[in-house]
Amino acid sequence: MAQALLNQHAKVELMKFAELAEPEILPVTTENVVRLPLGLLGFEHIKQYVLLSKPDEAPFLWLQMLDDPNLAFLVVAPSAVISDYYPDISPEEVEFLGLAGSQDTLVFNIVTLRSSGTGTVNLKGPIIVNRNTLIGKQVVPLNAMDYSSQHPLPI
Amino acid sequence: MLILSRKLNESIVIDGRIVVTIVRVEGDVVKLGIQASRDVPVHRQEVYEEIQKANQGALTKGRPAVPKLAQKPAPPSEGTPPRSTENSIPAQAKDTLTTPKES
Repeated sequence: MAQALLNQHAKVELMKFAELAEPEILPVTTENVVRLPLGLLGFEHIKQYVLLSKPDEAPFLWLQMLDDPNLAFLVVAPSAVISDYYPDISPEEVEFLGLAGSQDTLVFNIVTLRSSGTGTVNLKGPIIVNRNTLIGKQVVPLNAMDYSSQHPLPI
Repeated sequence: MLILSRKLNESIVIDGRIVVTIVRVEGDVVKLGIQASRDVPVHRQEVYEEIQKANQGALTKGRPAVPKLAQKPAPPSEGTPPRSTENSIPAQAKDTLTTPKES
């Protein structure tokens, strides 16, 4: 009955918190409504999403628009595409999301698929979600200049 | 574009609720202080446009196939061992998962 939270696919690291949360892969499909009060950059008016997780699609998840299920963003846990990912989240963002530590925090990044079968992942604007409230934000970390918005997917 | 001149420590007010202040001028770098409520996101323009463009290019219709990733990269080396995660949702959040809230 208890549904899984989505950090089963996300390894979460914040510079403020030294611990790692290692994910567990769950055998069942999970769906969770996630609210982004400020939307995504360029999609500020869309605030409600469903985060869909299927075991055979891991480490990818779908961030699907609640009001238009045909529209969705493919997202991925950053640990699956890069090691040493440390987005530095400002204290204002931490406060906005009500994060007390890495155990509260889910991180994933938006993927762009290309018709050639390759793709890139946006490491410059991660989506940070509070696991308890399922409220999230697309954050520009303080060290955004260290990361690419088009990091190649290792395919 | 509205053009206004300000000296150090002077401000402008936008929409009666956003205040932009010149806090420092060092050579050709101007440091701006922005006071706005939390529901007003503020970004450097070039970063905003880069991420906006990436988001727009990433939107999919009709659920395309998910790629298969190559070998997972080596994890960063540090001493913290993996811990199992708590997978149950606290009671307070359970109600939010079954019915969509009005925005």
